[in-house]
Amino acid sequence: MADILAVRDVRKVFGEVRAVDGVSFTVRSGTITGLLGRNGAGKTTTIRMITGIFMPDAGRIEWLQGGNGASAFRDRIGYLPEERGLYKQMKVVELLLFLAEIKGCRPADTRKKVDYWLERFELSDKRDAKIEELSKGNAQKVQLVGTLLHDPELIILDEPQSGLDPVNIVLIRNLLGDLRKEGKTILLSTHMMAEAEKMADEIILIHRGKVVLEGTVDEVRGSFGRNTLHIDFDGDGAFLCDLPQVRKATILGSSAELALHEGADAQDILQACVSKFRVRKFEVAAPSLEEIFIAKVGAETLSAEVAR
Amino acid sequence: MNKMFAIMKREYLQAVRKKAFIIMTLLLPFLMAGMMVLPGLMMAKGMGTKRIAVLDGTGKLESAFARPNAPEEGEEKLDAKKEARKAISGRSRRTLPSQMQIEYVNQPGATEAAAKPYLERISRKDDAPDKLDGVFVVPPVALTDPEAKLTYFSRSATDVMTQERLARLANKSLQGLRLSANGIRPEVVDDLLQDLDIEAVQLSRSGGRKTGGELNFIVAVIFGALLVLPSFVYGQETMRGIVQEKTDRVVEVLISSVSPVQLLSGKILGVAAVGLTQIGVWITMLAIAGGYGAAVATTAGVNLSQFVRPIVFVYFFVFFILAYLTYVCVYAIAGAVCNSEKEAQQFMMPIMLFMMMPWILMMPIVMNPDAPFAVAFSMAPVFGPITMFVRTLVTDPPVWHVIVSILISIATIAAFFWVTAKIFRVGILSYGKRPTIPELMRWIRVA
Repeated sequence: MADILAVRDVRKVFGEVRAVDGVSFTVRSGTITGLLGRNGAGKTTTIRMITGIFMPDAGRIEWLQGGNGASAFRDRIGYLPEERGLYKQMKVVELLLFLAEIKGCRPADTRKKVDYWLERFELSDKRDAKIEELSKGNAQKVQLVGTLLHDPELIILDEPQSGLDPVNIVLIRNLLGDLRKEGKTILLSTHMMAEAEKMADEIILIHRGKVVLEGTVDEVRGSFGRNTLHIDFDGDGAFLCDLPQVRKATILGSSAELALHEGADAQDILQACVSKFRVRKFEVAAPSLEEIFIAKVGAETLSAEVAR
Repeated sequence: MNKMFAIMKREYLQAVRKKAFIIMTLLLPFLMAGMMVLPGLMMAKGMGTKRIAVLDGTGKLESAFARPNAPEEGEEKLDAKKEARKAISGRSRRTLPSQMQIEYVNQPGATEAAAKPYLERISRKDDAPDKLDGVFVVPPVALTDPEAKLTYFSRSATDVMTQERLARLANKSLQGLRLSANGIRPEVVDDLLQDLDIEAVQLSRSGGRKTGGELNFIVAVIFGALLVLPSFVYGQETMRGIVQEKTDRVVEVLISSVSPVQLLSGKILGVAAVGLTQIGVWITMLAIAGGYGAAVATTAGVNLSQFVRPIVFVYFFVFFILAYLTYVCVYAIAGAVCNSEKEAQQFMMPIMLFMMMPWILMMPIVMNPDAPFAVAFSMAPVFGPITMFVRTLVTDPPVWHVIVSILISIATIAAFFWVTAKIFRVGILSYGKRPTIPELMRWIRVA
């Protein structure tokens, strides 16, 4: 698949802060790209430059398909900002028609789509409700509908799952999967690594305004080697920390995640486990994005924060 | 263009559908009318009858107080035309007094001592049959001693109107008596004492004349208010809307969909349409009421068109739009840089006072519409629209004054709009601390 969008060495400085410091990446058509990073890493600023809210101080945003017209690009994007909000006094239908209209769609052409999407999100009965009467989850779903109504080429979601309950988190995850199957391109910004891992095809890890890691999820995880163990057990797992092969152990109740030293054999550890407690699950895996994330940026930040 | 229209449409429909808007639009004219009519009604009726004892030390004033509520003789001579004009202007010299019920006491040599029993009756209960509201004492020396003083006793020293009227009745009579005592025939005394009316004639540039210019001040104030108040009200409304969009976090979706210029112009035009709708309704209501008033005035021989030239309505429309756009841009900036309505109000307070200058200086401008300061004001940015409009109303400024004023206003609006759009782009997403002036300048440069 061809690339749809290229971000080339963009920079943005706010006063003393280099929010984005030379970020480059491309978004492939028909994939979900995860833009990962801690809070304040520069994700939102990068997205705001893509959506045309901020002008980059340097570098450029290029559309690789179709024209590069200044105003047209706004209509090609469906954007769900992290700071979500809707006109509280408006009715759901009115608001959705308005959101489509400012993306250049005629209201007459949009009504059917509004009905379709409300149906899909199980919001049909809320059609004529005012936004302020909706629950927070429903309001977020309405805003997501507003993001999709005009059939954007690129869907940009900034922390789409923040503030949602587990059911809605799954709903969003499934929706993104469906959208990808329908051939949409999605740029997903999140700090929830587990979600990114489940949904994204490719990831871009940003830290302090710079890209520190990028590639497909498999590539990234593969590059860190298959040297992680996930173990579920009944009994006392404290001894796992003391095993010589273990570089780092995270034990939470009756499950443990072990990072092994280079060249360590998982088989030895399984034997040790069997003798100590009842093993319910034993899995040799590539490290999770969470671990990679922490390995890549966590240690550095942590020490920096301690130094401060 | 379509996007701007979408913003404008939403802005307009949301505002017009609000109950507050509908109620305000339909009710305000009645409230205003009520505010103008009520005090008059209260003075005429609400105060009721005043019972006053007149102690006449001269013993010669009985006839003067016989018909205290009848119009004075001189005023009866006013023709219907003047009467109507005075009624319209509300500046009739014949103020509305409370009805007076006089208890005349011929008391030659009356002193305060003789007045004592009457003064006591002032303190009686309100429903006592012989309760008095006031006691008016004319000293015996009133006819001979120019230093003599009339005295009016009452519970409230502030009933100036009653006091004034009593004094006038007594004085007119006393003057007549003094003149007769010096050989003037009593029949001609009233004619000799008659004041003459003065009439203002306004000369237009083309040499035309029109009378009734005194009215222009009232008309100027009413039209000035009609011109400037909606600008402030809807300016505030725009500011509130922008702050609201910021606090509701709607704004990011908006500016990822439309350009700041589209957003700003859509908003401003939408709110302008709301304002014009409201004013349109008001003018229609006024026209209906005015149609009745004009019919009455015409039968009384008053030509209303001499007060307001038709061109004034054209000027009104032009300067309303100009004033509105100028103020609204300023309010939009306040909305863009502030994070709460309260903060925005504080931010606007000094700016608003500054913008109100022509309004505050209305009196001197109306009285000296061609003075250099008025001319300068009428061509200055920001102050121009309202000052120029008032000048076209009360005088006949050269056409080039009007054109220069309009051009300067348009330039000002363009500059304000440009700055506002820039500040909008940066400011609207900056939550948190309000920017300082140097920061604002930087925003304008970088955006």
